[in-house]
Amino acid sequence: MTTYASPTIQVNAVSKWYGNVVAVNDVTFDVHPGISGILGPNGAGKTTLLHIIAGLAAPSEGEVRVLGEPSRGNPELYRRIGVMAEHDALYPFMTGREFVTFAARLQGVQDSDAVDEAIRAVDLVEAQGRRIGGYSRGMRQRIRMAASLVHDPEVLILDEPLNGTDPRQRLHFGEMVQRFAASGKTVLISSHILEEVEALAERILLMVSSKLAASGDYRAIREKLDERPFMVRVVASKQRDMAAALVRNPAVESISLADGAIDVQTGNIGEFQSVVARLAQEVGSRLYRVEPLDDSLESVFTYVVQR
Amino acid sequence: MNGALFLVSLRQAASLKRLAVIVVFALVPLGTAIAISALGDGEDLVNSVLDPLVIATFLPITVMTIATTAFGNEVEDRTLGLLTMKPVSRLAIVLAKLGATLSVTAPLAVLVAIVVTVLGSDDESVGSAAVAAGVAAAMGAAAYSSIFTWAGLMNTRALGFGLVYVLLWEALLVTFIEGLRYLSVRSYIIGVMHGMEESAFSELADRSIELPAALAGAILATVVFAYLTVRRLQTMDVP
Repeated sequence: MTTYASPTIQVNAVSKWYGNVVAVNDVTFDVHPGISGILGPNGAGKTTLLHIIAGLAAPSEGEVRVLGEPSRGNPELYRRIGVMAEHDALYPFMTGREFVTFAARLQGVQDSDAVDEAIRAVDLVEAQGRRIGGYSRGMRQRIRMAASLVHDPEVLILDEPLNGTDPRQRLHFGEMVQRFAASGKTVLISSHILEEVEALAERILLMVSSKLAASGDYRAIREKLDERPFMVRVVASKQRDMAAALVRNPAVESISLADGAIDVQTGNIGEFQSVVARLAQEVGSRLYRVEPLDDSLESVFTYVVQR
Repeated sequence: MNGALFLVSLRQAASLKRLAVIVVFALVPLGTAIAISALGDGEDLVNSVLDPLVIATFLPITVMTIATTAFGNEVEDRTLGLLTMKPVSRLAIVLAKLGATLSVTAPLAVLVAIVVTVLGSDDESVGSAAVAAGVAAAMGAAAYSSIFTWAGLMNTRALGFGLVYVLLWEALLVTFIEGLRYLSVRSYIIGVMHGMEESAFSELADRSIELPAALAGAILATVVFAYLTVRRLQTMDVP
């Protein structure tokens, strides 16, 4: 992983609680230029943390600095950072162009070329004259992105930016963010979908249950995730023969029979996926269903935390 | 004041639906005043319409309808972050919202107060009475705007708070407990009217406070609640 002399975002021992509910628990990390991703299941505290970093919420404890300055109570800092919050916050009575122009004016940008460029960057030139109230979810995400970029910030904070976008838009979005980061700027992006963050971020900050569970190169975290035991349910004909074949295979750690199905625990999900069909063919069994039992992000993240 | 923010706030405040609602509100005191005047009882319009229908009801409820949504809707729609995450001072944001609210409500409030006053005044004092009514209504609109804009930022159910405030505090308690007049926008409006034109508004003498106190009270209420709104915007967690 590349390291830099001075981090652009510094999160130091930050906690946030609402009454008895702890939303963020003693989180410390630095973010450097490039793309970093905050990954975690829904409710992990990602949005609260991004709100604190963006200066929207005050930490109950700890300190956040962005570009060396406190982010809370510092409106002038917003000339240098762009924030796209998770919520679909827009003025539906405005056209797309009016919305981006409004953001530009509040940023002190008078140049209409900057507005043109931001709208072009998110591929909404043709729809810019339409009212936002008639936009699709993906278009709304993109016009919000344009408004976040119009003042050419040094740091871009994006909370679940890919919600509602289609695969083509995701590809376009990825290219745009990578171009932005390639110019030496910082992008901090949050998502609850591993593949989204993995495709974009060089560094992952993994949040689980309000805490920072792991951080570092995404490959290292991915390896941890792939090593964990998976539970898979197999529904097939000739259940006893299939179970016997499975239990003899080295990729299978244990099996149990339940309700006409075979629940398999495997330490190597890739190997298991490649052999299960062959084993069925060998014993003359017909496979009806092969489905993961604990593929939720929560279980994946919990495993990493327990490690 | 930030021009772009003022114009957007004005578009929000002056939606057709809201304008229609406050124009309908305005028709109640105007229609009543015209009807009473047509029946030949115009001399008593101050007691029968100007105070109870314009000052105590129409003006606060009209301003409340617009002002509580100035920030209330931004909080509810979660668009407040779009404003606060910009290099714009919190004071500029509050001034833009207050300016937009006043631009929509003050002209109508002043117009209604002047029309009712003119209908109920004699020829000699009609000019100065109209000016006094206009100035008092404008100052009242400013004070109410500031109070209800703050309330809208404090609570998304500010309309309920506003109704309780108008009906319980301004209309009931202030009427029966004399000392509370110095803490009442309604009394400030009456005090400015009566202080500027005593003869035309002589019927308000028993409810009035001194002109300097009324002017100071209206200005103080406007400034203090604007300051509280700025402070709230600086310290709150933006949803």
